[in-house]
Amino acid sequence: MLIGIGGAGSKLSSTFDGGSNVVINISEAELNKAKAAQRILAVVHSGRGKREGAKKNPEIGKTAFISIKDQLEDMVRGNTVITSTGGGTGMGITWKVLESIAQKDDVPEEEKTTFILVLPYADREPSEYVDNTIQFISQPVSWAIDSGNTGNVFLVSNKEKFVNRMTEAEFNGLIARRFNAFFQIPAKCEEHASLEGHIDREDFSLYLSKPYFNYFVDFDYEHKKPLDEQLASNTNRLMLEPDTPLEAMFLLEVPNHADERMFYDVLDHFESRNVVPIYAVVRNPNLQVPHLTLSLLYARKPHDLVNDFIRISEKRTRDKIRKSIEQHGTFGPKKVNLEQEAMKEAMKAGKKEDEVISVLKRIGKL
Amino acid sequence: MEQPLTKLFDQQVGNLDQAHVNLLYWSAMAEDRKMRYNITNAFDDLKYLQHTRTKQAVYAYIEALRVCCLLEIREEGNKKNLYITEYGARALETLVNQGYTLQPSHFLGG
Ligand SMILES: Nc1nc2c(ncn2[C@@H]2O[C@H](COP(=O)(O)OP(=O)(O)O)[C@@H](O)[C@H]2O)c(=O)[nH]1
Repeated sequence: MLIGIGGAGSKLSSTFDGGSNVVINISEAELNKAKAAQRILAVVHSGRGKREGAKKNPEIGKTAFISIKDQLEDMVRGNTVITSTGGGTGMGITWKVLESIAQKDDVPEEEKTTFILVLPYADREPSEYVDNTIQFISQPVSWAIDSGNTGNVFLVSNKEKFVNRMTEAEFNGLIARRFNAFFQIPAKCEEHASLEGHIDREDFSLYLSKPYFNYFVDFDYEHKKPLDEQLASNTNRLMLEPDTPLEAMFLLEVPNHADERMFYDVLDHFESRNVVPIYAVVRNPNLQVPHLTLSLLYARKPHDLVNDFIRISEKRTRDKIRKSIEQHGTFGPKKVNLEQEAMKEAMKAGKKEDEVISVLKRIGKL
Repeated sequence: MEQPLTKLFDQQVGNLDQAHVNLLYWSAMAEDRKMRYNITNAFDDLKYLQHTRTKQAVYAYIEALRVCCLLEIREEGNKKNLYITEYGARALETLVNQGYTLQPSHFLGG
């Protein structure tokens, strides 16, 4: 079961195949728009959330969590949560879910929760989204991963949407197609004639229950070409780049008459990296060329991830300051420390008082 | 109900002085920069600006803000860090509009 929380989570959850989805939101209007088997309204008593949603303020999501705590904690067991990391509702509610998971002594494999987290494209999206993401990754996501109590965490990036100027619906459809291809691995193993290895539903669930980041990709496999090269030219641009893999899984589908022994090349690739993947090779008569679906589990430290976002966020602040200097026209471009000079200049002009109001808004207090 | 509360808020805000304003301002700036601002930093900064020379006085400033729910103190790994509340933000906004100056924090680098 897929549990979509907040705006992005709800919309995305209804585009995925396979079973029922639940959507959770604090705004009744938004909730009714979503296609779902079940809808849960989380309640915020302040009145503000009810009327206008969380407005990028995760405190509202965290408060709303209280109203659905027992039901949600029960529901996430053994299931998948999908949310954006930038907004207020999905991120705020998921924050509390992760926090409570991190505090448990032990979570049995079959009760592990997997998380699909949709990160903003830091170059183009509002800084509140970026700042929320930094907090979210460096705190609850990091606590939950460290506790070993979560299942896989998938990190999806909105970058491609902006780079390719896609509509939201197109982009969500693309995300869903990629995920469906991955989640279909055990079904494909059941459907097609098995040639080598095996991945059944239990194997797949066990893999999903590990507390690592999951990166996956699927592409038409070229027998003669080294896998490194193929992986380099077929990255899954919807996801954050993986670190060194700790575990791996693959499904190789081969058409009729193709020699299935090519799977040994894939095994060799992993052997040189000290990884023993679980795998299956099946005969898929609907295909013209072999197709590889491959997943890697990696443990990139969340703070490295956060650093990437902080770097972008800082660069943006620097650019803004630089721009304001250019507008003031007081300094030549050769000045040594542009930022400091800009700060001084801004202060001289009495800008500090104006700035504080935007700071208060930015940190969600006003 | 709304009327007396607004009046109370105005009275509370009216009783704050420059040191209080600074504390609210610095807590907000630190949070915005993803830094933590703690009681010791507050003491150093207020001493530097010659608002006080004793830590007790700093505690008193902070305590007053806390009791009025303008500032929150969070224990984070041995440190008592200061965070402005939504009320505090409104108070600071009001004070800035009334013409209070914002003094630089040494700890936050001017
Ligand atoms: N991929 C995708 N991202 C979305 C969608 N809607 C919102 N987002 C992203 O989600 C973030 C905003 O969070 P949102 O889910 O709208 O807020 P919430 O309702 O308060 O949880 C931003 O980074 C948006 O770009 C969507 O339909 N698809």
